[in-house]
Amino acid sequence: MCHRWPPLAKLLSAIAMILAATCVPVAHPLIGIVTCGIFFAHTLARIPLAYVARRLLFFWPPLFLMAISLPLSQAGQKGWLLFVTIVVRGTLSFSTALWLVNVMPFDQLLATLRRLRIPDVLLAILSLMYRFLFVLWDELDRMRTARAARLFRKPSLWATWRSAAHLVGRLLIRALDRADRIHGAMLARGWDGRSRWIEQPREDRP
Amino acid sequence: MHIQDGVLSPVVCAATGAIALGAVSYSVRRLKQSVGDRTIPLTGMMAALVFAGQMVNFPIGAPVSGHLLGGVLAATVVGPWAGCVAMTLVLFVQWALFSDGGLFSLGANVLHMAVIGSWGGHAVRLFVQCFIGDSRKGIVIGSVIAAWVSVMAAATLLCLEFRLSWSPSEIDVSKFFTLMVSFHSLIGLGEALITGVAISFVINQRPELIEWRAEGRQPPDGPRNSQEVRRLTPASSPNIDRVNPVNTTTVAITRTLAAGLIIALAIAAFLSPFASSSADGLEAALGQLGISEFNLTGRVPGMLKDYDKVPVPIAAWQTLAVSIAGIGGTLAVFVLAWLLGRAMPAATQALNSEAAGE
Repeated sequence: MCHRWPPLAKLLSAIAMILAATCVPVAHPLIGIVTCGIFFAHTLARIPLAYVARRLLFFWPPLFLMAISLPLSQAGQKGWLLFVTIVVRGTLSFSTALWLVNVMPFDQLLATLRRLRIPDVLLAILSLMYRFLFVLWDELDRMRTARAARLFRKPSLWATWRSAAHLVGRLLIRALDRADRIHGAMLARGWDGRSRWIEQPREDRP
Repeated sequence: MHIQDGVLSPVVCAATGAIALGAVSYSVRRLKQSVGDRTIPLTGMMAALVFAGQMVNFPIGAPVSGHLLGGVLAATVVGPWAGCVAMTLVLFVQWALFSDGGLFSLGANVLHMAVIGSWGGHAVRLFVQCFIGDSRKGIVIGSVIAAWVSVMAAATLLCLEFRLSWSPSEIDVSKFFTLMVSFHSLIGLGEALITGVAISFVINQRPELIEWRAEGRQPPDGPRNSQEVRRLTPASSPNIDRVNPVNTTTVAITRTLAAGLIIALAIAAFLSPFASSSADGLEAALGQLGISEFNLTGRVPGMLKDYDKVPVPIAAWQTLAVSIAGIGGTLAVFVLAWLLGRAMPAATQALNSEAAGE
């Protein structure tokens, strides 16, 4: 049912939850209430628990790597105290953000940002980026497939790095060419440097 | 590399957020002024590219792999302002799509990767180009060094933020700094390698995409479309290099600014170990005088009783480790820059001599 809330309410409640998760001391009993609240929000939005768990599995290693440097560098208890603090707060705010991602489609987020008076240039770039992100992803996927198809044995580490960097470079060239084509197409459709927005259909009302 | 919410204190989040907001809005303003309406598709595409480029895995060991950060790459290709905006949007979308990074720590992340990566990286590259020249070699060597310096500067800034976030009784920043600098020395080396190879690849394949921007020139008046450029001039033709003469006054001012920024970055990157260790000395002195609460030892004996039981192998090596990380990293980056620069085609020299001959 969270899905039908007005977009601004979703954003504000997510901000409130993250604020709560990062400001309450970890040792305080209130952190349990915050955890329950976030869990409740996930249930309310019918986000499968297995999905959250899977995302957490990808999220934890980098956080762990960052947090483990504290006990390694701080002797005694205080390092581990910080470690626990960071892991708990990170996990809670990550779950909240995950909730927001799942109840708020990206175009709704864009519309909300526009209502919050974010500069038009930034939003135009953002929406273009979002549009072509997946195109470039597919392109990258094809290039990866092509590379895999041409590798018959495991290359050396240097060769892998070199080819991966070339992949980035080639993708860059293709992206810039595509930007030129897009610009041409925009000019052909009367682009004058001002962005115009189609009013969003009111999906926030049932 | 992303800082999650909860790592930094709310006050530090607010402060970094305010700085990042200022820097990004300045970039947006510059972006509005500078180029024509081509900026928007170009920047959007660059942001999408950095996002996709971060998906390319660079294996390190069996389970661990690194990836590109892209700030310097973006700044080299589309300039510092557009690069900064593109990186900011990348970080925002990573939060909004994958909840990677945090909302409150977005400011810190933007500051580290977008502002330092693009502005700082651009400044470092221009500074290096003062010595090597605006040739292709200069661009590649400059971006390699810029990539490394920007990562190290970001790591140093992170330590500073940590220090401000947690009270000194909770954290001993100088040891943390040692560890962070050692880690990031390697991360920076990877970033430098990826950026250098990618940029030299692009310069070899399609020099016109990078050169006029990387050399701080205005965009060529005639053919604005890179395909048009390609059609008009054969790949080996040196015409592109002379489309527009360099505006020397602007370049001189830019260089002066760049030199100032570089010195600041260098101080941040290399002198901080000494600064932080002397700050510790200051704290110790204050604690002995009983002025402040910095020194916990003796007041809360129970809390620190197992202080010595936890082995901290690097503790004694602290200064040495920072020096090794700094000097070793610097040497490695310079060797890398030299190798990549050497691999640049001799066409540049031919071009220069040809231009001089005229």
